[in-house]
Amino acid sequence: MKLSGNFPVRLARRAWPAVLLCALCVALAPRGFAAEKPETTSAWAIQVEPVQADEGQLPPEFSMAIYEDLIAQLVKTDKFQQVFRSGDHEADGVPNLLVLHMTLQNFERGNQTTRAVTTVAGATKVQVHLKVATRDGNAVLEKDVQGTVRIFGENLKATFALASAIAAKLRDAPLPAPTKGAGQ
Amino acid sequence: MPTVRKNTRPYIFLLLPLLSALCAGLFAQTADTSASAAPSGVRCMHVLGLEGVKRNLHGTLTAGPSGLDFKAGGAHGTVAIASIQDVFTAQDSHQVGGKVLTVAKMGVPYGGGRVVSLFSHEKLDSLTVEYRDANGGLHGVVFTMPLGQATVLKKQLVDSGAHASIPVASPSEKPDAGGTKQ
Repeated sequence: MKLSGNFPVRLARRAWPAVLLCALCVALAPRGFAAEKPETTSAWAIQVEPVQADEGQLPPEFSMAIYEDLIAQLVKTDKFQQVFRSGDHEADGVPNLLVLHMTLQNFERGNQTTRAVTTVAGATKVQVHLKVATRDGNAVLEKDVQGTVRIFGENLKATFALASAIAAKLRDAPLPAPTKGAGQ
Repeated sequence: MPTVRKNTRPYIFLLLPLLSALCAGLFAQTADTSASAAPSGVRCMHVLGLEGVKRNLHGTLTAGPSGLDFKAGGAHGTVAIASIQDVFTAQDSHQVGGKVLTVAKMGVPYGGGRVVSLFSHEKLDSLTVEYRDANGGLHGVVFTMPLGQATVLKKQLVDSGAHASIPVASPSEKPDAGGTKQ
């Protein structure tokens, strides 16, 4: 089949409606998805307590890294009205407050060099029991969550993995609607 | 003459890996030699925790009568001595070279990258400080620094009036053992 010399011009003339349609789809698609996205922010605020562990079970740098990473991740989820630190006096007057407690279940300190050399050994693992409860002690969510660094990264990366996993669990968990006087 | 050169060549090739291994070992141990450096103004890495300071930022940490002071380029973070609840030190080791060397090691054929990993690690000190803000909220800051520097900084903080549940250079505060966290 022989194409005439002005074939590209004719193609461009015929294709412009299709191009315009594609552009419109791309421009409008995010708005459409955003409209379908459910409202994620709950009516609850949350206060994070540091990990409870027995003497010498969890090094302080890991404990503080879990605590700080978790606060950062919870703020990022946008699930809660406010995220309070442990001991924050501002949380005292907040209605609908949940308190997040973590109890250490297992901690295995690996080695980055062992991971880099063997690939299969030297993993660092942190496992905690997560309990989210109202002020009066009613548990809203209880789960075991683990954070692991297996191949790449320093040992403290396990705390980031753990915090991300906890934040994801809380983001996806259906929280009950706060009743009158809940969390007071 | 050419015969002599031909005979020595295998020995040179045998010596090369030995020399490179020795150099890598020496490079990995340089942190130990700098342990007795200046007690204040320690070069360190802010791992996390300081308000307004990015994570994994390298800078200078100073412990003075007013508290901890971290400076890195335009970033600046402080922790007042009165707000410090506890100070912990620990030791850990990590791979040097960052992401660049990690990627380079993956590119070495026949598992050569793993051999490089054996020699490209160094020991580090970590300094963890727990403090409370004006509202009473608990914060934690973690720094990593060359070996031996964390104890010096902790001693300076304790001498300035910071509270530490484990005394400085206590036998119970062994490397990798960690302290008490309740």
